[in-house]
Amino acid sequence: MGVPNRDLPPVADAYDLAACGLMTTLGNGTVVRVNATFCQWVGYEPSELVELRRLQDFLTIGGKVFQQTHWAPLLQLQRSVAEVKLDVKRRDETLIPMLINASRRVYRDEIFDDFSFVVVKDRHAYERELLLARKNAELALEAKRDAQQALLLADRRKDEFLATLAHELRNPLGPMRMVLDLLQLKEFSDPQVGWSHDVLNRQLGHLSHLVDDLLEVSRINEGKIELRKTRVELATLMRTAVETSQTIVNAASHELTVEYPSTPVFLNADPTRLSQIFSNLLINAAKYTPRGGTLRFTGKQDQGDAIISVQDSGIGISRDDLPKLFQTFSQLVEGKELSQGGLGIGLSLVRTLVGLHGGTVTARSAGVGLGSEFTVRLPVLIDSGSAARSESIPPAAKGKPRRVLVVDDNDDAAASLAMLLEMEGHATQVGESGVRAMQLLGEFNPDTVILDIGLPGMNGYDVARNIRKMQSKEKLLLIALTGWGQEQDKNEARLAGFDFHFTKPLDVQRLLRALNGGESAAHL
Amino acid sequence: MAVRIRNNVQVFGDGPVTMVFAHGFGCDQTMWRYLAPRFQDRYQTVLFDLVGSGRSDLSAYDYGKYGSLHGYATDVLEIVDEVTSTPVIYVGHSVSAMIGMLAALEAPGKFAANVMVGPSPSFINDGDYVGGFSRTDIDGLLETLESNYLGWSSTMAPAIMGAPDQPELSDELTNSFCRTNPDIAKHFARVTFLADHRAELTRVTTPTLILQSNEDLLAPLVVGEYMHRKIPQSVLSIVENVGHCPHLSAPSASIDATEAFLQGLAL
Repeated sequence: MGVPNRDLPPVADAYDLAACGLMTTLGNGTVVRVNATFCQWVGYEPSELVELRRLQDFLTIGGKVFQQTHWAPLLQLQRSVAEVKLDVKRRDETLIPMLINASRRVYRDEIFDDFSFVVVKDRHAYERELLLARKNAELALEAKRDAQQALLLADRRKDEFLATLAHELRNPLGPMRMVLDLLQLKEFSDPQVGWSHDVLNRQLGHLSHLVDDLLEVSRINEGKIELRKTRVELATLMRTAVETSQTIVNAASHELTVEYPSTPVFLNADPTRLSQIFSNLLINAAKYTPRGGTLRFTGKQDQGDAIISVQDSGIGISRDDLPKLFQTFSQLVEGKELSQGGLGIGLSLVRTLVGLHGGTVTARSAGVGLGSEFTVRLPVLIDSGSAARSESIPPAAKGKPRRVLVVDDNDDAAASLAMLLEMEGHATQVGESGVRAMQLLGEFNPDTVILDIGLPGMNGYDVARNIRKMQSKEKLLLIALTGWGQEQDKNEARLAGFDFHFTKPLDVQRLLRALNGGESAAHL
Repeated sequence: MAVRIRNNVQVFGDGPVTMVFAHGFGCDQTMWRYLAPRFQDRYQTVLFDLVGSGRSDLSAYDYGKYGSLHGYATDVLEIVDEVTSTPVIYVGHSVSAMIGMLAALEAPGKFAANVMVGPSPSFINDGDYVGGFSRTDIDGLLETLESNYLGWSSTMAPAIMGAPDQPELSDELTNSFCRTNPDIAKHFARVTFLADHRAELTRVTTPTLILQSNEDLLAPLVVGEYMHRKIPQSVLSIVENVGHCPHLSAPSASIDATEAFLQGLAL
């Protein structure tokens, strides 16, 4: 095939001394021809291989298995195999990585396989590097996953801590609120005492609000929030929100204009949460508006939506800050001075609660110093057929005096509740533990027992169960008072034999109604 | 239908009895090219790919489920239910012979016969038992697989190609039928070569043919003899063949042995 008159080395040399190893075998691998290059690479004389050795003799065990499971079937069915990389064993048992191609043909009814071998040390080293890099990448990925896991765990611990913190903070607030309410009924001759009471009242209200927000956020984080949706009228909710935020609005000498819907607008919503949403927005507006500003709180219906908006003449929001507004723990730098601290959870809570009600909340501001407007849209309850149904709860009527045993390991909580009940004309006795309660049952002979659940030793459920076992106490009114208001807590209370289950902070009016027989046990 | 897609089930032929062919480690149902067509005028023949191999649904590869051969046996039972309601003749190569055995132990009523091509209940030597390999050998194999799948993983282009000058090869064949996702291949290799089902052999009740090459690295003669001793009423048939795939390199002898065995069972 060369140029006719050029003197070329013999073709046999081209085969024998080729730059690659060449070999021909029978179908079973027996070597029938092999070139010098291959022999030199593996350290054998051709005469030691031809008719004496098989190709597979040069392979490692792994290579032999691979030959059986992959290469042989391919050679059989496709008649050729390309780019198989295997280690080839030399005479001294050392290995050289080689790339092998093969093709099969039939010559005079006999199967022959032709192989070529190329030494690929560099490629082999390179592939090792790649494999190593891949392994390292996998390890790094794993480390990243572990770190993420650890972060999640830390985040969960933080949530748990916040939940505990909120609960623990709320416990002392109950008795404080009760005592302040009691003081409200007294006349003070010293104006300074009166003023001091007002300060405490305002600050306690503020503190309670912060703690409630914190508690709500941790409930959301733990996925434990349960909406108690009922049919409610928007104006009622707006009124409650105004009451809640009134002290803060007044303290800053703002002028608040409230526009209620022109016709009643009904929502299917959790009244407590919605009031919380509106009062959060009102309090925010009051906080971020310099003294003597104007606030506007409006509610109206726009087709299927109720639209509630809170407008202020305050510090406004820059365009850059608008998107960050609803993130947890975010507070705008400009607002820091005016806000007097705060937790930075108010708006994030608003957005979550509105979302849970199937609504949206948006913020608008013409810019820094130009005031802001927050708008909540909520779906309106279409069925208004039973609009006549009474929304207002009748005030507690005075009933017959009861003998009430109050059991709480928080002395202040127990004493203040007892004091309040006595002012309502009931006889009371206070116990600090389950064991003491059982004792007083005989001594004091109460007709009503108000039990804290988290008592040391024998808890409230145990006490209730024990009381229900006593035949003489079947008619006794049992009321649970607890910080835990989940459905399962209520179930447990029901099973333990409680007639009522109240969640802290205590709604005193409802408790009084329960004592007077005016509250249905459906609240359990 | 989901099973058919998951395992790329292909049904051919017609007959009162169904034959199910299961390929071994390495390639796919193409391996039955010389064997299965010879049965399809008398039987309904069913070919499929193990999940993770060939054109099976790779997304169905669950490392937990396929962490033992029982996961594959569950699939086999589902395939049998999908194609017939009468007992099948199961033909399994290598690891699939053991998969078929596990499936038949679980539901003996679904199997009329089990033809095991080059089976091994355990590849690793253990005391008196000769499986043919040491643990180190198996590690070496896994490494060989790793270096040969390197090129395949990123491009998914066939690294081992067909010969264009072979007119009988269809397009389907030029796509390498031995190509697999390298992670799956490595896992499957580990599960295959570390499996040990010697203990179940004596519990077999399905009539069994052990079709053995006289020279096979993966299933040495002693392994075939061991299985023949342990499986009650089994038939050992030795085919003149070098290699692990007598159904490819000695198809006629393999067909003859299978037919003789099935005739004996009046199937």
